[in-house]
Amino acid sequence: MANAREIQSRINSVKSTMKITNAMYTISSSKLRKARKSLTDTEPYFYALQRVISRILRHTPDIDDPYFDTRPDIKPENRKIGYLVVTADKGLAGAYNHNVFKLAQEQIDKGGSPMLFVVGELGQQYFTKKGIPVEQDFRYTVQDPNMNRARIIEEQIVDYFLSGKLDEVYIIYTRMVNAMKMETEFEQLLPLPKSSFNLNLPIDVHLEEITMKPSPAAVIDAIVPNYIAGFIYGGLVESYSSEQNSRMMAMQAATKSAQDMLDELAITYNRVRQAAITQEITEVISGAKAQKNKKKKV
Amino acid sequence: MSTNTFFLQVIATDKVFFKGMCQKLIIPLLDGEKAVLLHHEDMVIAVTMGEMRLMDDNDQWIHGVVGEGFVQIVNNRVTLLVDTAERPEDIDERRAQEARERAEEQLRQSKSIQEHSHFEASLARSLARLRLKHKYEI
Repeated sequence: MANAREIQSRINSVKSTMKITNAMYTISSSKLRKARKSLTDTEPYFYALQRVISRILRHTPDIDDPYFDTRPDIKPENRKIGYLVVTADKGLAGAYNHNVFKLAQEQIDKGGSPMLFVVGELGQQYFTKKGIPVEQDFRYTVQDPNMNRARIIEEQIVDYFLSGKLDEVYIIYTRMVNAMKMETEFEQLLPLPKSSFNLNLPIDVHLEEITMKPSPAAVIDAIVPNYIAGFIYGGLVESYSSEQNSRMMAMQAATKSAQDMLDELAITYNRVRQAAITQEITEVISGAKAQKNKKKKV
Repeated sequence: MSTNTFFLQVIATDKVFFKGMCQKLIIPLLDGEKAVLLHHEDMVIAVTMGEMRLMDDNDQWIHGVVGEGFVQIVNNRVTLLVDTAERPEDIDERRAQEARERAEEQLRQSKSIQEHSHFEASLARSLARLRLKHKYEI
């Protein structure tokens, strides 16, 4: 058994670690509250946008637009596939980053020549180390997601797609299902997946004509970048909330196990101290006895 | 209270700007303005940066400056989806003024076509804000 002083210093180190994890817990819970608010603020826009787009596409089935061009003449092994991967800037968030990496790796292994657009410092480092091509000019933080940043990211990605530097673009982000559950999601951004908008529609439903002003192409060109920016923004906000939530849970668990360790160490410390006292008393008594016996003999 | 109304939603990325019954809606387009009244033809129209006006069912005019987006008119229900929507009283004049100066400065130094159109858009945004602010506040 270690001596009392060793245990004491261990208790102190656990205590100071616990202070840090507890502080991180408080910080991420307040950040989560903010992220949740922006999430609920954008949800109406996000869902209305999806509804409207699906309606427009339903009514105009034959849109020949670069945004819908799947480029079927390019073979699967030659396709240049872009992945927009949303990770955290820092670790210590449980399995949050790991889940994203795992899903990204799975998709990359499927073939084609991948190009990664990584949001978040940790992902940048991870994929660069792995030797997967990461766009280096693409440096955005995940802190405080806002529409402006989503728009800049969207501009860059749409530009890559339209100029033929990329044939497909996907986004990998983490969706917050509820307070306890986060799911890593994988969605296609470009070319716009037509099938996902065509919800199973009965054949006899009357499709009313919708006039598009100034022209269908102009409307689609105005809507699609908005849709993609909106989607990216939604993904960023969802990921940010998930990150803070994961960190909050991880730190809560860490604080709890630190508390358990402290309890255990306190018991051990008391035992060791008691053992030392008992030993000392035994020594004193046996010493005193020896002295008594000596006196008797004299 | 008027009964000649249709259901209108004005949704921006960060908030729901307006939701309710409306008599008239006037939106900025690339080639001018367009007014939407009751029983309008089903339509999807691209909306550009500028001033939007709507008259609610109490004959009250509501003004706002909107960003880019589009409006969908289907079955007498109108949905206006824009990236930003602000009331005149929410516009920070000094910030808009600063944004305008910054955009003008950057526009002069912009190198690529993409940069140019980017700063042109920021300039248009700040100008629209300032215009609306001056029109209804002072």
